[in-house]
Amino acid sequence: MTGTNQPIAACAKGVSVHYGATLVLDALDLQVPTGGVYGLLGRNGTGKSTLVRCLLGQERPSRGHLELLGLDSWRHRPALMRRVGVVPETPQVPPRANADELLAMGSRLYPIWDVDEAKRRLRRFSVPSDVSFGRLSKGQQKQVELALALAQRPELLVLDDPSLGLDSVARKVLYEELLEHLAESGVTVFLTSHDLDAVERLVETVAILHRGKLLVEEPLEDLKRRFRRISLREGEALDSAIPAVLQRTSPWGREAVVAHNLQSIPESFSHEGHAMSLEEIFEALVGTETAGGES
Amino acid sequence: MIHINPSNAQPIWSQIEEGVRQLVARGVLLPASSVPSVRELAKELRVNPATISKAYRRLTDEGILEVRRGEGTFVSTSPPSLSNDDRQKRLTHAASNYAAVAITLGAAASEAIDCLQQAYSEIDEVSR
Repeated sequence: MTGTNQPIAACAKGVSVHYGATLVLDALDLQVPTGGVYGLLGRNGTGKSTLVRCLLGQERPSRGHLELLGLDSWRHRPALMRRVGVVPETPQVPPRANADELLAMGSRLYPIWDVDEAKRRLRRFSVPSDVSFGRLSKGQQKQVELALALAQRPELLVLDDPSLGLDSVARKVLYEELLEHLAESGVTVFLTSHDLDAVERLVETVAILHRGKLLVEEPLEDLKRRFRRISLREGEALDSAIPAVLQRTSPWGREAVVAHNLQSIPESFSHEGHAMSLEEIFEALVGTETAGGES
Repeated sequence: MIHINPSNAQPIWSQIEEGVRQLVARGVLLPASSVPSVRELAKELRVNPATISKAYRRLTDEGILEVRRGEGTFVSTSPPSLSNDDRQKRLTHAASNYAAVAITLGAAASEAIDCLQQAYSEIDEVSR
């Protein structure tokens, strides 16, 4: 990448993916800054998993290219997988192996492999190391996968919806483990999630994928500064100069969601209207209709 | 105790910064006492450690906290010395926020001032 001063851990340029006549990703651009937590949000079926597979070099896009740590994802996949830790959405671990065996396997595959730390991690969360992976609870499976992904001391950690299907306790434990690791390493984290509360607590940069493109990609703090919900009085029209994302009728009357450019947020903006949570901004941008398939 | 609300419009680091400032002002955190490490607080509040670091850095710059190398982070032994200008700005800013709330609630100026006076003496008493 050129033209930016900030080092980039992952990027996509003009990436399109077709499945038959369906365009899943549409000339998508993306930039993950080095050394922070980047959260990718999107409704089911918007191509998040496709994008993750392309980023990891597991799938070749119809057009465009992707880089991880400055290298082409597709061409340098084997070399990159030694520097990138992955917790996939569905486990890709042999279900009959137990944690001890999985850790032993890793030490043969990876040049850097911190077994001791991984074992400490699993003990801390009382994950039995002699029970086969397939027989662990879902939460324990994620702990094992995270421990395996961290054992190679990755420069980039890719977590594809890690809390999916976990109960609230298992989720909390998983995020605590991740936070513990974040506190002591400069790892870059690329996270996709439906858990907006967690995203709001963890990420520095947020991106929202919708209809094959990123609707936003910016620091979470900036995003929340730009958006406000404004109530409109009966018969009042929104000033046409104000960039509205949507206008709708709520049980309280008409309201609009407005989004300014960061450079041109008016002085008065922080007083008027209601600040919005990430969840509200997400819904305003991608809509709430329940149509749409699974990917 | 610091409470944060991630979905609040106020950035999380700013909520933490304000929370610590409150604890110091109320005398819950005494001068020279230690504050939780970045890692501890990140786990406790379940937020990114970088967010805690940012709040601590700002509090350190303001002279409310001080970092002793190898020992950790502590509440300053001496109160922060702000420039008069800076002090004035902050007071004015906080006051206009309060005034806005009072007006929204339909409180008269006298009622708002009474309320403020009471809050002031309560905190002042505790921190003595």
